[in-house]
Amino acid sequence: MAQTQRRPFRLTRALTAVAAVTAAAISLAGCSGSSSGDTDASGDPSGDLQILVSSASASDAAFTAISDAFQKKYPDVKVTLSTVSNDNYPATKSSRLTAGNVDIIVVKNFVEVPDFASDSTSDDVLLAKSGGLVDLTDEPFMKNYTPSVLDTQAIGGKQYAVPTGLSYSTGVYYNKAIFEKYGLEVPTTWSELQKVMSTLKDKGVSPFGIGGKDSWPAGLAMLGAVGSTYPTADDKNALVEGLWKNTVSLTDDKPLSILQKTETIFQNAQPNFAGTGYDDIPAGFAKGDYAMTIDGTWNEPTIESAVNGAFDFGYFPLPVSDDAADNAMLNGKIELQLAVSSGAKNKTAAIAWLDFFSDPANYKTFLEKSGFSSAQPDIAATPFLESIAKYTSTFQPAWDTLWIANNKAGQDAVFPFNYPALAPLGADDASQAAAAAQKAWSAAF
Amino acid sequence: MSTSFPFPRRGPVRLSFTVGLLTLTVFGLVPAVAVLVVSFTNLRGLPYLPVNWVGIQNYLTFFSPAKWADSANAVGNTLVFAVASTVMQIVLALGTAILLNRPLRGRNFVRAVVFMPTVLGVTVTGLIWSLMFNVSGGPAASVLGWFGGESAFFGDPHLALALVIVVQIWMVVGISVIIFLSGLQAIPTELYEAASIDGAGGWKAFRFVTVPMLAPSITANVLLGIVNALQSYQLIYVLTGPSNKATQVLSLLVYVQGFGGQSGTTLSQSQGYAAAVSMVQFALVAVISLLSLWFLRRREAKL
Repeated sequence: MAQTQRRPFRLTRALTAVAAVTAAAISLAGCSGSSSGDTDASGDPSGDLQILVSSASASDAAFTAISDAFQKKYPDVKVTLSTVSNDNYPATKSSRLTAGNVDIIVVKNFVEVPDFASDSTSDDVLLAKSGGLVDLTDEPFMKNYTPSVLDTQAIGGKQYAVPTGLSYSTGVYYNKAIFEKYGLEVPTTWSELQKVMSTLKDKGVSPFGIGGKDSWPAGLAMLGAVGSTYPTADDKNALVEGLWKNTVSLTDDKPLSILQKTETIFQNAQPNFAGTGYDDIPAGFAKGDYAMTIDGTWNEPTIESAVNGAFDFGYFPLPVSDDAADNAMLNGKIELQLAVSSGAKNKTAAIAWLDFFSDPANYKTFLEKSGFSSAQPDIAATPFLESIAKYTSTFQPAWDTLWIANNKAGQDAVFPFNYPALAPLGADDASQAAAAAQKAWSAAF
Repeated sequence: MSTSFPFPRRGPVRLSFTVGLLTLTVFGLVPAVAVLVVSFTNLRGLPYLPVNWVGIQNYLTFFSPAKWADSANAVGNTLVFAVASTVMQIVLALGTAILLNRPLRGRNFVRAVVFMPTVLGVTVTGLIWSLMFNVSGGPAASVLGWFGGESAFFGDPHLALALVIVVQIWMVVGISVIIFLSGLQAIPTELYEAASIDGAGGWKAFRFVTVPMLAPSITANVLLGIVNALQSYQLIYVLTGPSNKATQVLSLLVYVQGFGGQSGTTLSQSQGYAAAVSMVQFALVAVISLLSLWFLRRREAKL
């Protein structure tokens, strides 16, 4: 047996070493705080500016272009732009806000919720209400933006975010060459769409390309179905209220029809679409593997470069209603909304950056690179966006921007139209999926 | 005997011990206790938002009728994943180790190949197997196509968990092989000679010499495997995404809840709830590992 005899404990030496280790740790921790000035002698902003955005390749490039131009104008400011994938964004945002080393952030789900759903108020709205975001209401650059867009993102009547643009999520890209070859017209009603799908299938072409492995691209079919089943924002809000007050059931005919039509679209997608990723779709569309794909306008730059002039393509609202008037408008959302953290170390530069961004000349550059639709009036659109202007003449918010999920409900009621349970993504048919969603939903009350 | 302390001075030993203990306390014990505390709050992880005590509300939510279907699904998947991957990993590793313990041309090379997946890490592994099981033109799809079959692979809810288990085994089997190999090399050859004199051939020698002598290695492998598999979510996240019900496991639930991984929904992240789920997971891991430790130790003593 080893070791029993005690030796004098060298207290001083041990203490010195512990102190040294502690000192080293403290000095390391101190490194994260960086000094950043506010303004230089001429009154221009200076110092470090930290911007954190959730990532998409087109908007990343657009933000980079704006930041480069900004640094040219204000050479004393060093802009650091961090782009983080959507899945990791909330965690990154909360840790950087807590550490206080970020000035401009993207806020999400930034819409006030009605009283009946107040428990489901989003983190960022709570953040604004508890003083975590800088009030931008009186900043002159906010006047550049379309008032109706600003209204939809007002929190307690105040403005906390710059809307960088709009995008539409309920449309269908279609291959004009394939449509022409088989004598197909752009469908404006559900029965016309069914005819298009059956003709294409008969000719051996998959009607739809869907990136089902990432789940949410398959959800765009559901969003489109809600869009024309409940065409106006009032219809959609009434549905939200009806569900929250349990006067509407997800198994009722009208809500159920959304899953049934989504199911039909799934049955008309390319083989094994449940295993295909979102990023693989533009290439398949360009190869002509499928004639149509439901995707957002944000992806147009990517689809354009994949197709690369091989054929013309167009974009129409997914027609799920049998009344063409219900299918006339694309549903959309406000894109990345930029807010300034109250804990920002360099508010001067942050405000200056947003001011620079909002300048119509710079904003136009941003739109060209990002593919977003304008949130400012009187800005000429790209030819693609021009071509869909008739579908966007009034802004119709999409279902996912109005729906308020219940944190207490089960996973089947998240959207709450339970498309992930539909075969082949899941194992259910439409009525089973709706019943599961209704069960998960009503159990929360 | 009493002065056989192997080091010239006690000071450095005490110092390094103290530093180690402090590090463990600060980075291990304190966070663990903090998670327990957080599980009784509604912490959201954002500054400016108030944090309130909610008692056992988070635990009640986990077992509530609305959430129970998801919770039970996650617990079930966790157990299937852990048991299936551990058992197959042990069997496969033992077989491989015995093969590699024989005189074999290029043995070191083969050993390196077997161990290689362990070195690659989760993301690279995820990428390799996503490509392997790519539905359009991937190698697996092509092979299946020769026989007229097709599959959505990771997108197929009936197949996804099984495939993830296969990839998990592929990734971790190398470690078990190394542990078994070292165990095998410690078995004295005299035992096999004695066994063969007593007339024990291949299977009998394996059953009555190899397995008993390997018992400590088996214990170590089973425990490491189970604990690792019960906590693992990274591979599942990379291969099938954060909110796929077919492969949802407890630790993935913790990740999605705590770090807002479920983008595209209006659900908020709730670190309080995530902490509660992770305490449930901790209890599960603790019970299962202690039970298996008890069982394996008892067997070891018997053999």
